[in-house]
Amino acid sequence: MRGTLLYIGQRLILIAITTVLVSSIVFLLLHQIPGNAFLNENRQTPQALAAELHHYGLDLPLQQQYVNWVQGVLHGDLGESLVNHGVKISPLLIRETSVSATVGFFALLVTVGLGLILGVIAALRQNTWVDYIASSAAVIGYSVPSFVIAIFGLLIFGHYLYVWTGGTLFYQPGWGKPEQIPVPALALGLPYASYVARLTRASMLETIRTDYVRTAWAKGLKARVVVFRHALRNALIPVVTILGPLVTGIITGSVVIENIFGIPGLGKEFVTSILARDYNIVIGVFTFYAGLVGLANLTVDVVYPVLDPRIRY
Amino acid sequence: MAQAAPVAQPEVELTYDMPEQATLLSDAWRRLRRNRIALVGTVIIAILFITALISIVWTPYPVWLQAVGPTYQPPSGAHPLGLDQAGRDILSRIMGGALITVEVGIGSAIIVSLIGIPLGLLAGFYRGKVDTVISFFINIWYGIPDLLVALILVFVLSDALHLIPRGVFVIIIAFSLTRWMDVARLVRGQSLALREREFVEAARMAGARDFYLLVRHIFPNALGPIIVQATFAIPAAVLFEAFLSFLGLGLPSPTPSWGAMAADGYHGMDFAPHIVLAPTIALSLTLMAFNWLGDGLRDAFDPRMRR
Repeated sequence: MRGTLLYIGQRLILIAITTVLVSSIVFLLLHQIPGNAFLNENRQTPQALAAELHHYGLDLPLQQQYVNWVQGVLHGDLGESLVNHGVKISPLLIRETSVSATVGFFALLVTVGLGLILGVIAALRQNTWVDYIASSAAVIGYSVPSFVIAIFGLLIFGHYLYVWTGGTLFYQPGWGKPEQIPVPALALGLPYASYVARLTRASMLETIRTDYVRTAWAKGLKARVVVFRHALRNALIPVVTILGPLVTGIITGSVVIENIFGIPGLGKEFVTSILARDYNIVIGVFTFYAGLVGLANLTVDVVYPVLDPRIRY
Repeated sequence: MAQAAPVAQPEVELTYDMPEQATLLSDAWRRLRRNRIALVGTVIIAILFITALISIVWTPYPVWLQAVGPTYQPPSGAHPLGLDQAGRDILSRIMGGALITVEVGIGSAIIVSLIGIPLGLLAGFYRGKVDTVISFFINIWYGIPDLLVALILVFVLSDALHLIPRGVFVIIIAFSLTRWMDVARLVRGQSLALREREFVEAARMAGARDFYLLVRHIFPNALGPIIVQATFAIPAAVLFEAFLSFLGLGLPSPTPSWGAMAADGYHGMDFAPHIVLAPTIALSLTLMAFNWLGDGLRDAFDPRMRR
């Protein structure tokens, strides 16, 4: 137990370092841009411009700006929006993270839930039509990018469903109502669900042929017990190893999904800020993303030994 | 002792039933041919390449030519895939998009390999400090949201700094700089294992230098997995380009990128779904084909990995 805590502590420090390091690259890249952030606001007098630059600390030498920024990040302060003056970035992003996290959570539910169910069923009914349908769906599904699924989802649930039901039942893009969650979550989760299904099927097929599972059948245990308690638990190990990249994929995938469905999360903010050249927010969102990816990977690594006791930290 | 008379050597033509010479590639090809789904992928990829080549010299209409007919016109005899919101022929643009897809995919696979292979070879071969440094970077790179870094790289390199004009090249560079780790990690593992093998040891005993060992012994023996990994880099790069262009941060407007075309059609989806369907289906088929080929190659190069 102490070992685990020590391990988590080490990893947290490493995540903090990685986050600062990676967002430093973005910080330095974006500060190489010639001109200043307020070039578009051409109605300003030189004095007002100087005052504004001073307000954001942009008149300081780059090294000083960088030191200030790192100190801010370590204190959880990401500065102020360059476009919407006076808007603090940290609270804004925390609010948006909760939105993104909701979509991401349901997408993960789709990914793992649907992927596991399809994979297990396909493995148990190997070489039957159930298996063929599930496997073909998985083979196609994991190549169709999430934004294509999103477009089709919008077309089917937003447009055709509206036409068929005469406008009584349909999906309305946006955010705020619970019925607006399933379509984006499906779009985001389906490609990865196919991947999980493929992986689960392969590892389940291997597991159900092992001796200890045969023993479990021979003892006369119920099918439910054999499948879920004996076979599935070991079959899950390879699935858990890809959860880390999976979560990263869902986080980056949400950038385009949120823009398609008009969900006010981190991803939409990211793209909007890049297009509006609000560099402070771009750096801020990026810092958030880097931290989230790190934390997601850590969570997976902590869950891992629960399934596979051979692994200890 | 009488000298043994020399035994008359019968003039016999020595013929053995030599198995057909199997090189790495011919062997893999033989196994790949038996894999039906990989063959389907290969056929789709062949069509993609041919389309891309044709589009260099000929498309039904110029890809940028607007108002060749009424805007939003659905598919018809003259325009098999219809016209888009600016009245451009979608078939021509899909063909032009195939060329961009091929350029991005192949270019990225090459650059990713050029970065990843030397780093991986060095890390696995020299171990110790070299490995520690390279592995540190690989692990750091795995911890970052790669697509988003690449997105910022494209933006900074071409829009903000004007170092490289916004185009295929900058996308390849940004993708490769953020996704070189897959190849590097794989090659590192291969080189780590191969350097202990007897034939490498024998070559070293014979006085081979490190460079010769790496290039003539370790690299060729890791070639199979490298080809597989490079094949998987192609769909990833293609998807990245589509993702960027869809968000309006990729290739600039008249370029017939499939992602940008999907973004164009997305706004008029309710009344003209054909605009969005053509590029998304083309994109999905391409990604599928490369993934199938990659899976097939993996099985072909490594028979033990058979599922």
